[in-house]
Amino acid sequence: MSNRSLIGEFTKGLIEENATFRMVIGMCPTLAVTTSMVNGFWMGLAVIFVLTFSNVFVSVLRKVTPDEIRIPVFVILIAAPVVIVELVMNAYLPDMYRVLGIFVPLIVVNCIIIARAEAFAYRNSVIRSAFDGLGIGTGFMLDLMLIGAIREFLGTGTVTVGSMVFPPKPLFEPMAVMLTPPGGFVTLGILMAVLNILVQRSASKKAKVEA
Amino acid sequence: MKFISIMLAGVLTSNFIFMQYLGLCAFVGLSEQFETAIGMSGAVIFVMTFASTVAALFEQFILVPFGLEYLRTIAYILVIAAFVQLVEIFLKKTAPSLYKALGIYLPLITTNCAVLGVAMLNVKNDYGVLWGTVNGLAGALGWSLAIVIFAGIRERWKFMNIPAALKGFPLALISTGLMSLAFLGFSGLFKTVLN
Amino acid sequence: MADRLLITSSPHVKAPRTVRGIMLDVVIALVPASVAAVVFFGMKALTVLLASAVSAVLAEYLYEKATKRPVTVGPKGDGSALVTGLLLGLSLPPAVPLYVPIVGSAFAIVIAKQIFGGLGTNFVNPALAGRAFVMAAWPLHMTSDWLNPRTFDAVTGATPLYAFRGGQSVGSLTDLLIGNRLGSLGETSAIAILLGGAYLIARGVIDYRIPVGFLGTLGLGIFIFGKPGALFQGDPVTGILLGGALLGAFFMATDYVTSPVTPKGRLYMGIGVGLITLLIRYWGDYPEGVTYAILLMNLATPLIDRFVVPRYYGYAHDVEARRRANRAGGELS
Repeated sequence: MSNRSLIGEFTKGLIEENATFRMVIGMCPTLAVTTSMVNGFWMGLAVIFVLTFSNVFVSVLRKVTPDEIRIPVFVILIAAPVVIVELVMNAYLPDMYRVLGIFVPLIVVNCIIIARAEAFAYRNSVIRSAFDGLGIGTGFMLDLMLIGAIREFLGTGTVTVGSMVFPPKPLFEPMAVMLTPPGGFVTLGILMAVLNILVQRSASKKAKVEA
Repeated sequence: MKFISIMLAGVLTSNFIFMQYLGLCAFVGLSEQFETAIGMSGAVIFVMTFASTVAALFEQFILVPFGLEYLRTIAYILVIAAFVQLVEIFLKKTAPSLYKALGIYLPLITTNCAVLGVAMLNVKNDYGVLWGTVNGLAGALGWSLAIVIFAGIRERWKFMNIPAALKGFPLALISTGLMSLAFLGFSGLFKTVLN
Repeated sequence: MADRLLITSSPHVKAPRTVRGIMLDVVIALVPASVAAVVFFGMKALTVLLASAVSAVLAEYLYEKATKRPVTVGPKGDGSALVTGLLLGLSLPPAVPLYVPIVGSAFAIVIAKQIFGGLGTNFVNPALAGRAFVMAAWPLHMTSDWLNPRTFDAVTGATPLYAFRGGQSVGSLTDLLIGNRLGSLGETSAIAILLGGAYLIARGVIDYRIPVGFLGTLGLGIFIFGKPGALFQGDPVTGILLGGALLGAFFMATDYVTSPVTPKGRLYMGIGVGLITLLIRYWGDYPEGVTYAILLMNLATPLIDRFVVPRYYGYAHDVEARRRANRAGGELS
């Protein structure tokens, strides 16, 4: 049982238990869809929806789910919101649905979701699980948007948000490689290393202050 | 011809790891030991090939005739999970030595997005049962090639002094980037001959 | 103290050879090609080479400073960054904008080499990784920023290699040998590269097996498949002189860190590079495949080292006997 406040359940997903950079799970979509910030946003939104509902479902049924078959049960409980997302996206955002491709249905096997079901929702109350899902999902969305923004900026020279383009004209010659797999792998690897260094620094500072 | 072009795409030109971002978790997680990488490769080749067959059969004889395509995701994940479970039971009873070699890797495969991914790609490309199976085999071989190469490289890291901030995932991802840079060289291979 | 006390098993070979000495030899061997580049492509070539070499050295220095590691550049350094920078510069088209060599060098030094722990820890050749990166980043510059030799006019047309692949004639053999043609800086003058390569082999810096395996395989392949629509009528000599084959064979595929350690393994590496180059040249998207072929064989190097091991002296000769010996649980040993 978690003993955080509800707000704490939400905010821990942003930094402390950040899906991409702290727990390092769910890498396939993290790389596949982050060729632009907008893609990252919609993929993130889909994951927030699925994660919140799967957490709620798992938590609601946690007392009646036998331990031995909990994983198959989780999978079904996760697949239901995924199918909803697929249908809704296909109906209202067909272009984005095509861009994200098989990575929307693949949310079902995204380790983040099953990990939250197993590690959190199966042991905590419904409200807590909902906040946990919202928080982890939002953190994941911000990760995707950050990586997407970096790759889009370096790869096309601009970042597009709705009808706004920033900067209006590329300031340098865009590097097409950033939109390809090698660029994605290297970007994520460097970002992780940089964040690790920042975390180490703040940890050693904290240790010094305490000493 | 179609056989060659699917194989070539799966193994080299659109390798699952280097070009399609599928099955990354297991790729990074299980490439530290050469033997583990080989074991997982065997399991992936086996499961991915036949899971593609089973999923394609399911598509053709159940989902399409009953107009249930919108439930594909949920159906596939169940079919794959059930298939893996069956394989596990079957191997345990009939081929204990094979089970001993592959057994511990089998449960990991259910959550390997490459298996569901290849089934989804088969539908997207309209491959049907036969070519879907071939595509599953090709994708699995490509995945195995990638992890075996990477395990070879990673084994050398044991003797190196790698900065703490880079250890594990960051370095693995950057290396995968360098490998995929090299695999770019295969792009368009035999395109003119095959089309 | 700990680093001074070396405990290794015998035999103890003592040689005056150092990393610094080897790198110096490589730099010397690269002088003819660099001079030829400047003669044929003028100041533009000089600025590209300088930008590439200086930014490689600078990147190495800055990274080592930032991570508080021992600095390996400068008068007392090992010279490897200079070699990487020069090689990258020589593999670029002469009229590329200067950010191409700068970004390429930085990627080569930092991403492909330093983050793994510096020289000796990288698994791909840094210069080639840098080149593959800028190739993927700015493909247009990398395939069209050519200069006419000696007149220095910008040309955006296809290189002789491309014409050769289509079966067209590509000028006289003399022009190819001295380097009077379109192409990347260091790959045009065959004589200059061969001179450098011969120096390296004579000094015992590189193993002849890699270039021989590579160029032999490539030549044989070109002879068989080189002429469109006909087999066994290709022109292997022209095919080898064009493109980056020579530069790659002597200076890049032979990199100690990223090529196999056993003689047999090195031969396999050379043959592999030749085969993949052939594949990409004739059936791939890119006009030249040397860069990717060497990078791909770099990836295979740990596997080659793993499986191609020399027979132990006095050990069973044939495989069956070895297997029997293994099964006997080492009773024979």
